Amino acid sequence: MTPQPDPTPTTDLPPPSPEQVFREYAPRIYNLARRMLGNDADAEDVTQDVLVQVVRKLHTFRGDAQLPTWLHRVTVNAALAHREKRANRQKRESVTGDDEALEAIAADPPTAGVRLPRPGIEATPDENILAAEQRAVIERAIAKLPEGFREVYVLADVEGLPNAEIADMLNLSVAAVKSRLHRARERMRVLLAPHFEEALT
Amino acid sequence: MSCQEMVDLLLDFVGGEITPEQRAMIEQHLCGCPPCVRHVEEYSLTIRVTRLLPKNDPLPPAFEQRLWAALAAESERGA
Repeated sequence: MTPQPDPTPTTDLPPPSPEQVFREYAPRIYNLARRMLGNDADAEDVTQDVLVQVVRKLHTFRGDAQLPTWLHRVTVNAALAHREKRANRQKRESVTGDDEALEAIAADPPTAGVRLPRPGIEATPDENILAAEQRAVIERAIAKLPEGFREVYVLADVEGLPNAEIADMLNLSVAAVKSRLHRARERMRVLLAPHFEEALT
Repeated sequence: MSCQEMVDLLLDFVGGEITPEQRAMIEQHLCGCPPCVRHVEEYSLTIRVTRLLPKNDPLPPAFEQRLWAALAAESERGA
């Protein structure tokens, strides 16, 4: 079901114009949809669907404080609905089978190493920019994640949403989100580590 | 603590959501297990580099034009 924007005005500002919405939010919606769906054509369809919905409902927004959150939800819902439609046309990848594949990867013994533990995940200032090649490697790895895992990974580790919010959006328990996220990270780890040796040595 | 038990706690470990007792057990395990140290490093790096992906990359130019035309048409219909 498409979430409805809260009709209660949050500010006295006028609603944003279609052009404002297009300039400020279209790239964000497109990037989220592309990563969730794993291809450009589907992301374009979803972006257009979402923005048309927004333009139709612009009069209900007063100011744009509530708009980013609403857009996130609508984009996730539209991407999932689009994927379901696509799945009706082609055999859908089995989450159970992928689950086993992810289990197998997770069970791989860690490779040898000799350094001290560093569990922190904060980037230092000189690590804040990805080279184009590194970026392409990460994007390809995300696209390889099975459906069911990919959207959890994108929402958690790209978009930075809390697990509880992801659970709410995807209609999953928090435990299920954490389990899928952990398995997705393990698969990403296997795919990415060989490309980031410099950062690991 | 076994290597598998350590891996099972990784998500909570890097998220800072473990008890002090669990943390102590993990750190003790890591002191004697270089492969798990490497595993933690790779897991943390995976999260760190993924977070650096841009979220506002520009639209492909051809799509940008099509999208704007569609929105302008929708906006006129609603006006």
